[in-house]
Amino acid sequence: MEILAVRDMTFTYPTCKEPAIRDISLTLGRGEMAVLCGATGSGKSTLLRLLKRELAPMGDMSGSVAFCGKALGELSDRESASDIGFVMQNPEQQIVTDKVWHELAFGLENLGTPPAQISRRIAEMASYFGIGDWINRDTAVLSGGQKQLLNLASVLVMQPKLLILDEPTAQLDPIAASDFIATLRRISNDLSITILMAEHRLEDVVPLCDRLLVMDGGSLIADGSPSQVIAALGKRGDIMCGMPAASRLYAKLSGSGPCPLTVREGRNFIESSYGNTTRGLPQASPAAESETALEYSEVCFRYDRNGRDVLDGLSLKVSRGEIYCILGGNGSGKTTSLSAAAGLIKPYSGKIKVFGKKLRDYKNRSLYRDCLAMLPQDVQTVFLRSTVREELAECNAELKELPYDLSPLLEKHPYDLSGGQQQLVALAKVLAAHPRLLLLDEPTKGLDGAAKESFTELLKRLKADGLTVVIVTHDVEFAALCADRCAMFFGGRIVSEGAPREFFSENSFYTTAVSRMTRGYYEGAVTVEDAAALCRMNGRKES
Amino acid sequence: MRSFSEYNPIAVAVWFFSVTGVAMFCSYPILMAISLSGAVLFFLIRNGFTHGKTHLFFWLLFAVLALANPLVSHNGKTVLFVMNHNPVTLEAALYGVNSAVMIIGVLYWFRSFTQIMTSEKLLYITGALSPKLSLVLSMALRSVPLFSRQSAKISAAQTAMGLYKDDNIVDDIRGKSRIFSIMVTWALENGIITADSMEARGYGIGRRTQLRRFGFRTGDILLLTATLALLGVTAAAIGTGALSFEFYPSMKIKELTFLGISGIISYAALVLLPVIIETEAELRWKYLRSGI
Repeated sequence: MEILAVRDMTFTYPTCKEPAIRDISLTLGRGEMAVLCGATGSGKSTLLRLLKRELAPMGDMSGSVAFCGKALGELSDRESASDIGFVMQNPEQQIVTDKVWHELAFGLENLGTPPAQISRRIAEMASYFGIGDWINRDTAVLSGGQKQLLNLASVLVMQPKLLILDEPTAQLDPIAASDFIATLRRISNDLSITILMAEHRLEDVVPLCDRLLVMDGGSLIADGSPSQVIAALGKRGDIMCGMPAASRLYAKLSGSGPCPLTVREGRNFIESSYGNTTRGLPQASPAAESETALEYSEVCFRYDRNGRDVLDGLSLKVSRGEIYCILGGNGSGKTTSLSAAAGLIKPYSGKIKVFGKKLRDYKNRSLYRDCLAMLPQDVQTVFLRSTVREELAECNAELKELPYDLSPLLEKHPYDLSGGQQQLVALAKVLAAHPRLLLLDEPTKGLDGAAKESFTELLKRLKADGLTVVIVTHDVEFAALCADRCAMFFGGRIVSEGAPREFFSENSFYTTAVSRMTRGYYEGAVTVEDAAALCRMNGRKES
Repeated sequence: MRSFSEYNPIAVAVWFFSVTGVAMFCSYPILMAISLSGAVLFFLIRNGFTHGKTHLFFWLLFAVLALANPLVSHNGKTVLFVMNHNPVTLEAALYGVNSAVMIIGVLYWFRSFTQIMTSEKLLYITGALSPKLSLVLSMALRSVPLFSRQSAKISAAQTAMGLYKDDNIVDDIRGKSRIFSIMVTWALENGIITADSMEARGYGIGRRTQLRRFGFRTGDILLLTATLALLGVTAAAIGTGALSFEFYPSMKIKELTFLGISGIISYAALVLLPVIIETEAELRWKYLRSGI
């Protein structure tokens, strides 16, 4: 049955000449799970919001949208609110109330559902999602993944037929994100709810979805099963950069046959099409030992006197001029270790030295002048002014000194920029203090594939200028691309360390998709480029 | 098997306001003594011998309040001694002690009340009055910690960028005021998302209902009836003037009538209701457990 039918939809914002989306036609059947992808600014959010009446932006719209055979405008308020669910990007701000159970009840309370029925639906939903354990908690204490799950559950409790999600996993760490997507797949299978989600992190979602829609410049340029779409768009680097590693490898090698999506399919593709007479790439010789930029020795820290140690004898050394990535799970204390180096928290024992000088010998905030700077996870916290120009003027940042161009953004409010743009402006502010050591906390959070790639390039350029960079991240693929050395953080200290190639080849779970795909077949391949190079060296098998 | 704090919040609130209401609007020394000792007993039963600082503060305040009155007020016939040419009288001293007993008793009750009445129960009570009011309260309760966390994050981010050149006060105040102004923007910006999320879930399309997390069980109705009955007797005794006590010019106690005695006994029973409930629950539990 057809749940949603969009015909020839064109939409123009009031102050714009060009339409934000043009001539879009698509239909979704019951229980289908469709993923909408495309670069930032391609009109994904506009399209999704137009499908939810309460959130539709103002502007000129032509064409028609039918929901279950009825025009969207003819639905009653109740139908429109309950039958079409909408989950937004930011987990925090969508939550309305202070308790988990109240949040679940909120939608039903609005509809005037009798209290007994609300209790029953909440009980069902909590059991289905396994929320039962934390239903009495304050919403403020939940993790990002739990918050987003709560947002999903509090929409589903109204029993929608169509669920629209606008980049729901952008603010989540990779593990929470893949759990969230698996949950979506489950509700689409179990309850035959139709799902339409915009997403730019596609590694997890593409293998699970039924349909992949691609938008570019406001038009729909592809609509079909994931492997068809990837086979058709394989040459478009800007779209491919967010795809699963197996698909990117396939596109890079211009492979034939069905496009692999998962690690398993990728492995089959490599083994059936390429030989492995050459097993490894020539190893780069390790860089000579240079001066130490940042050193922790036996650092211990806890937030509460009676709490547990968050940093438990942490020792590590970062050499001058290298990019050092600290990887690890949620709540393992990675961010705390950066805060300690930035002097925001005081360890109760142990020493931290920055450029050979103890942290407490940097008097009067001299640590932050020409020495060290930290970019926090939530880059919005860096902004204090109402335009980008004022922001940059405040810290005397020189536009010309920056390795990238910010001039088109100068008159905008920092909060109106996209995630990637905010990152660049925040970085410009941080770089204005001419730091020699830069600390970055989850710099790839919320960035789309293209923004991530350009950020990687940027880091390499900064490194060439002599900057030392310490990055804390969940993003294994990003670390494999940019790091000189990686370290695994667990239980308050570093448990393993090494150059990305050896580091990721020795890990078997916490490693890149390519490393898992080529394990035992090739040696030391961790990025798509490595694998493509090895495949080319070995040549295609004659079949 | 419920302890007193698990009873229906409305019943608990009615009991609580009956007890403190009598303590606040009457100054009959015996009732005040009952109120204070009941309040301390209740607090100790709930918390054991922790919260030393609270006790210390309350009793220091007690001493100050009790001593302040005879130094300021010089009414009364019985002069104890003369200080700085001012007479200190027995009546004023006892009046001071009586007021201190009243105030500290009420403070103890409120301390226990805030422990029992979690935000959730307050919302239940306000929700019974108006679901909209309760939603506003709930949103406010959510945004306060949200704001304080965000402003702490912004302040840490600004520090780590070294934007404030020195540790001086002017710079600090300027920094704080800028953080405050961006917090306003941040709040508005987030308010839009929250408003979207509310509208998307049908806020404002009709009359709201409210989920009831607490039902009225037999025990709740019993508690409520007992509270109102005991309050009625006490209030009758106070209202008819059967319980009156005068400090000035000299202390004068009215002879106790039957109504007066019943008033005192009722108030004592009212104050001890939770203790009775807790003890009964514990005994019953012991008995039931012996059968397992």
